[in-house]
Amino acid sequence: MGKMWIIARHEYLIGIRRAGFIIMTALVPLLGAVGLLVTAFFGGQAADFLERQFAIEPQWIGVVDCSGIFAPILPAYQDRYHPLADEEAGRAALLADEITTLLVIPADYVESGWATVISKGSGFRAAAMEDSASARAFFVDHLLRGKVESALRQRAARPLRVEAVTISSSGETHGGGPFSIVFTFVVPYFLAVLLIMTIFVSSGYLLQSVVEEKTSRVIEIILSSVTAWELLAGKVIGLGALGLTQVLIWLLSAWGLSGGTVTLLGMAVPLLARLEVFTLALVYYLLGFLVYAVLMGAVGALGTTMRESQQLAGIFSMAVAIPMMMSGFLFSNPNAAPARALSWFPLTAPTMMMMRLPLAEVPVMDVVGSILALVVSIPALLWAGAKVFRLGLLMYGKRPTLAQIVSALREA
Amino acid sequence: MKRYNDLTAVDDLSFDVGEGEVFGLLGPNGAGKTTTIRIVMDIFKPDAGSVRVLGGPPDAARERIGYLPEERGLYPNLNVLDTLVYLAELKGISRPVAREHALAWLEQVELADWAGHKVKELSRGMQQKLQFVASLVHEPELVILDEPFQGLDPINAGLLKGLIRDLQEGGTTVVLSTHQMNLVEALCDRIVLIHQGRAVLYGLLEGIKRRYAPHTVRLQTPVALGALPGVTRVEPHDGAFTLTLEEDVTPQELLRVLVEHGIPLTAFEAATVPLEEIFIAVVKGERHGQDVDHRST
Repeated sequence: MGKMWIIARHEYLIGIRRAGFIIMTALVPLLGAVGLLVTAFFGGQAADFLERQFAIEPQWIGVVDCSGIFAPILPAYQDRYHPLADEEAGRAALLADEITTLLVIPADYVESGWATVISKGSGFRAAAMEDSASARAFFVDHLLRGKVESALRQRAARPLRVEAVTISSSGETHGGGPFSIVFTFVVPYFLAVLLIMTIFVSSGYLLQSVVEEKTSRVIEIILSSVTAWELLAGKVIGLGALGLTQVLIWLLSAWGLSGGTVTLLGMAVPLLARLEVFTLALVYYLLGFLVYAVLMGAVGALGTTMRESQQLAGIFSMAVAIPMMMSGFLFSNPNAAPARALSWFPLTAPTMMMMRLPLAEVPVMDVVGSILALVVSIPALLWAGAKVFRLGLLMYGKRPTLAQIVSALREA
Repeated sequence: MKRYNDLTAVDDLSFDVGEGEVFGLLGPNGAGKTTTIRIVMDIFKPDAGSVRVLGGPPDAARERIGYLPEERGLYPNLNVLDTLVYLAELKGISRPVAREHALAWLEQVELADWAGHKVKELSRGMQQKLQFVASLVHEPELVILDEPFQGLDPINAGLLKGLIRDLQEGGTTVVLSTHQMNLVEALCDRIVLIHQGRAVLYGLLEGIKRRYAPHTVRLQTPVALGALPGVTRVEPHDGAFTLTLEEDVTPQELLRVLVEHGIPLTAFEAATVPLEEIFIAVVKGERHGQDVDHRST
């Protein structure tokens, strides 16, 4: 047992000094910092610039009204809509950049519903106006002026706003406002995807470490001091800790960069609000890492080169990709039969459950079943992995055949 | 016994290594040497038979054995001192003690200046020496060296030879597996020659050499030699004579006879045959008899 920890510490210390690890770990906070710097230096200017470049709605709209409905312009719209005498004056203002869009409303507007929108450059702003909610409010408000009271006019302009609330079988309600949907479902979902990715980063380190020990031929010296089991377990612990360090650095840097509030809390609060989801996500994270780390360790030992080992590992990575590929389908029906079936299979269970948990109330049976499947299969995989590991590690230049693997597993 | 599918790598092999001796484990490529060593090191389990190492089962002796495998390497990106400390720690030595041992050993093999360098910066010969030290840094009671002289220049090979002698003087048991028969002759007390998984020669090196000696004596004398008792043939050449002895006559007995006859001697030498020739003769002789599939172990 003591040697397992020595190996774990060794793997951790070697891994943390690896250029690849340092670059990967630094890249995420660095990108965040660059983003912050851009905002800090250019501040409002940058925001205005971006808004002007990409804003769909025109900023200053000149109105040439031949119908008489839009004169005078209601006070609420006066900061964006400016009355102009005729189309000639409008075009001149447009060319002089005094306005960004010119809206010409003909005399027969009420009968036809047609209006002309003139803008510089592409017709994008003009086309966008038809779908613009604020343009719609401008028209409805003026059309119904004097005929309908103000509150009703506003309702007519924007008849529906949705507050989504979900109710669980026990009668608890969650949510409120459209942001709540994003926070309760989408954010934890992407957090799950992020965690899944770190599982693969860490087990990738394991694959690399095993292949390196094999190709540098240090492995037989190591195996003369420790058992294959101790070596594999030590590697899983050391490199798991390495992966966790990376995630922690990312989270802490996000926390530090955002002044300790916005991003991290925004992500964590909805998860914490459903404590059982948060706890289970951690459990699946840990179990998922263990399953894949042990697999990668054994697979790494079988290949003769990094490339060959990666190809072999790719077969197992397919298993994790299945729940990812099903994500569209999962959003609409997280408790469908195929999703439930994959939750019971050890290789897909961690990712499938991590994706399902934030989306809906998962049946207790699936939670128990998937955890049980994982808890049983991890020691079995570790046992089998250590056998295959020992067989593969000592074969240089050739890959063991399936028959040899089977006979190694049969050996007591 | 150890089988790989239909191949029997080690079969009915039995030998003892005495405490404090240098024991030669010899055999052609694919004879089963490495498999035997891996069984002793508990890396493989035998399919049949038993192994006792340092008075117990192999898995209990791990920390008291030093092993230099034939297929060997070190972490290229780790520095020299850290490598030795880590490998010693895996043998159950505490970190500070491991460090102390490692520095002392580096001094002894003239690598002290390289302690802080990465292993990959070392020359091939230096790496060989470092690997050798790595198997000794935990001060084992038994050292198993598989081809320790591979790739070493004569100076470093001499250094290693000296270290192996020092180990023996210090009471460490050494098992040496090598194809360099001159080194076996120089270092080993007893040997076992494995061929196709079986022991074909086993015992004291001196005894084996005597057994395979061609029963002749070379001598130089200024006088002419006539018939002598116990001698079947006398061949003169270049001012010397080669005497072929009768089956039961030893060179010592011939010497006594020569002294009794008052024959003056300027040189007297019981002819020996180099171990290499014995090795080749035994292995080739065996191959004539059997036609067994043998592959790399």
